[in-house]
Amino acid sequence: MTGGRRGERCGWRWWRAVAACWFGLITAAATAAELDDVRARGELVWGADQEGGGPHVYVDPESPTRLAGFEVDLADMLAAELGVKARFQQGQWDRLPLLLGRAADCVINGIESTPERARDWRCSRPYFAYALQLVARRDSPLDSPEALAKEGPRGPWRVGVLTGSAAEIEMRRRTDLAVEVVGYDGTVDCLEQLRGRVLDAVVMDDCIASFNADRFGELRGIGRPFAGGTYTILTAPDTPRLSAAIDEALGKMITDGRLKALYDRWDLAGRQQMLLLRDAAEVPPAQRGSLADLIRGALPLLLRSAGMTILLSVASFPLAILIGLAVAVGRLHGPAWLRPFLAGYVEILRGTPLMLQLYALFFLLPKVGLALPALVAAILGLAMNYSAYESEIYRAGLKAVPAGQFEAALALGMTKWQSLRHVLVPQAVRIVMPPVTSDFIALFKDTSVCSAITVIELTKRYSVLALSTGRIAELAVVTALLYLAMSWPLSLLSRWFERRLERRSERSQA
Amino acid sequence: MIEVDSLAAVRAGNRILDAVTLAVAEGTVTTLVGPSGGGKSTLLRCLNGLETFAAGRVMIAGHQLVAGDHPPRALERVRRDVGMVFQGFNLFPHLSAIDNVTLAPRIVRGVPPSEARGRGLKLLDRVGLARFADARPATLSGGQQQRVAIARSLAMEPRVMLFDEPTSALDPQMSAEVLDVIVELARGGQTMVVVTHDHGFARRAATQVVELVAGRVHRAGPPAEILTAAGR
Ligand SMILES: Nc1ncnc2c1ncn2[C@@H]1O[C@H](COP(=O)(O)OP(=O)(O)OP(=O)(O)O)[C@@H](O)[C@H]1O
Ligand SMILES: [Mg+2]
Repeated sequence: MTGGRRGERCGWRWWRAVAACWFGLITAAATAAELDDVRARGELVWGADQEGGGPHVYVDPESPTRLAGFEVDLADMLAAELGVKARFQQGQWDRLPLLLGRAADCVINGIESTPERARDWRCSRPYFAYALQLVARRDSPLDSPEALAKEGPRGPWRVGVLTGSAAEIEMRRRTDLAVEVVGYDGTVDCLEQLRGRVLDAVVMDDCIASFNADRFGELRGIGRPFAGGTYTILTAPDTPRLSAAIDEALGKMITDGRLKALYDRWDLAGRQQMLLLRDAAEVPPAQRGSLADLIRGALPLLLRSAGMTILLSVASFPLAILIGLAVAVGRLHGPAWLRPFLAGYVEILRGTPLMLQLYALFFLLPKVGLALPALVAAILGLAMNYSAYESEIYRAGLKAVPAGQFEAALALGMTKWQSLRHVLVPQAVRIVMPPVTSDFIALFKDTSVCSAITVIELTKRYSVLALSTGRIAELAVVTALLYLAMSWPLSLLSRWFERRLERRSERSQA
Repeated sequence: MIEVDSLAAVRAGNRILDAVTLAVAEGTVTTLVGPSGGGKSTLLRCLNGLETFAAGRVMIAGHQLVAGDHPPRALERVRRDVGMVFQGFNLFPHLSAIDNVTLAPRIVRGVPPSEARGRGLKLLDRVGLARFADARPATLSGGQQQRVAIARSLAMEPRVMLFDEPTSALDPQMSAEVLDVIVELARGGQTMVVVTHDHGFARRAATQVVELVAGRVHRAGPPAEILTAAGR
């Protein structure tokens, strides 16, 4: 039965959480590998996101087991310079710095120099100069980055950016522009959405824009690049010698022309690039503000995103119940030809991850001409996913109603549907109240998956804030408290339902 | 009012009704008696189409049922004219007594709610339960529940009432309350078929007694003939 399956799922989640805590404790206690450790190991482990795309690091489409990208070559050269081999470590792009001292010695993945990063991590000297490029469809009325200051024909311009990138920071900072900024986890997703007219424009590092130019022929760069900066290699704060060795190696590669040769090979060596590399000034580290200031600044944002979490839950769950009920009734009492389809619906939705379903709704449907807004896709995805679980609960609930009830209804001359509507379903609803309420709490927490399709809810807001301020632990506590403040009343409600039902069944047995 | 002709029913390879033929005249009471497993419930449930039969024919309240499946519409028409009261009451637990009584008239016959309630209250009064109109079934005694179930069936103004051991789940005192209601109905001219092991009731109310043994009509006739002193 479903209850058991769901119980297993919760148990598994719980164990995973415990394991993650232990892992965190153990690794936090360990110190980061210094230069000597790297040499002794014979390996420089560098973190990057192969999903992030070219020209930095990407999976070679010709041989999918091989990684390509100018940073792959750079890592190899750098490791050779340190007298070791380079080994790639995959990580999610906006969380790459968290790998430092645990799974990676350094991060080389188009990480822009910012004051916050200079404060929290060790930043190498620059190895690459980028600028931001505005990209739009060829038929777009946008003709320059300045045109973003005035609203477009459909209101504010919808501008896609990579979450956590310099482009996102820059676009969110620019209050003078009439733009709505939408964060994505991957470049290609972002450009696909621009092609599919969900977005009006994308702002990204110029090298990424030119790398993707061939694949997205109907898009073009608008105006000249603006607001540039440099990429830096991150290392853990307690590895001064590793960081110095990397700087030294980069310096050598710049003076003897090997870095320029590398960029020539990748067609990335503009004049500006070389100038910036030579003279780039060091970025001064930011100051750490007080905790009270941090919370005062973050709380309104977190609260607003908590509102989104609530909206997602209360909009999707009633829908999940309605669809689930319809599917359950259809499977038990519907026409025979329909039943296998409904069973398939349930199995597909229960047997595939929610994340994948959201991706399909948001990124694949536009390819067949049905572009759903992110919020709609998120609500629909959650509703469909949970409808599969609810339908199983309702199926069990309907079966638990004594057969005599159906017969009594039929014997009074009711049709099958009247019997269901007035006699069976109302009783099933009462029977399944406790498991359904506890599923609501589960859905409430699953809303965090929606960040994968650009919806900023509480968890996403937390991770953006945590990464931009570096206050990972403090904000985690605040966020967890917000979740608790919302789910606690739900737990109380579900327990109240259970008690009420218990009392009722005691009474009817008396 | 009811004519059963050569009825045969087969379940799991066993012939559990075999050549059953009987007639029930309008305004009379027929009791079905016989040993356990004799086929009494099955016969009763064939009369309102809750179960199908393999051969034979049933005429009831002007409707005809033949062997095999029937379209749902046809069965609904039969059941609107044929009420049934079950051994286990089968009241709707989520509805109050009065809502149990008025549900079918409202949604099947389309009677306006206020009118249905007025008639429902009269029926509850007739079975002595006007005071319990708003009580949930779970708060009522077995005898009270069965009387609500009878009122619920009567609310559809059926031409025939079928009772399947209406008092077997009740203690003697509660049985008496329910039987009094049924006897009262019989006096009012309601056509009914009652499955019962209670020969006292059969003697008191029945026009005809039919004894089913192993799926066949063993004996049939007036109570005085069938229920000899040797009978239970
Ligand atoms: N769906 C079924 N499948 C198999 N056997 C069945 C089915 N329905 C009834 N029977 C069998 O048919 C026989 C007659 O059953 P029925 O319930 O009609 O008897 P009854 O006379 O009402 O008995 P009781 O006095 O115990 O209620 C029994 O032997 C029973 O086991
Ligand atoms: Mg029986």
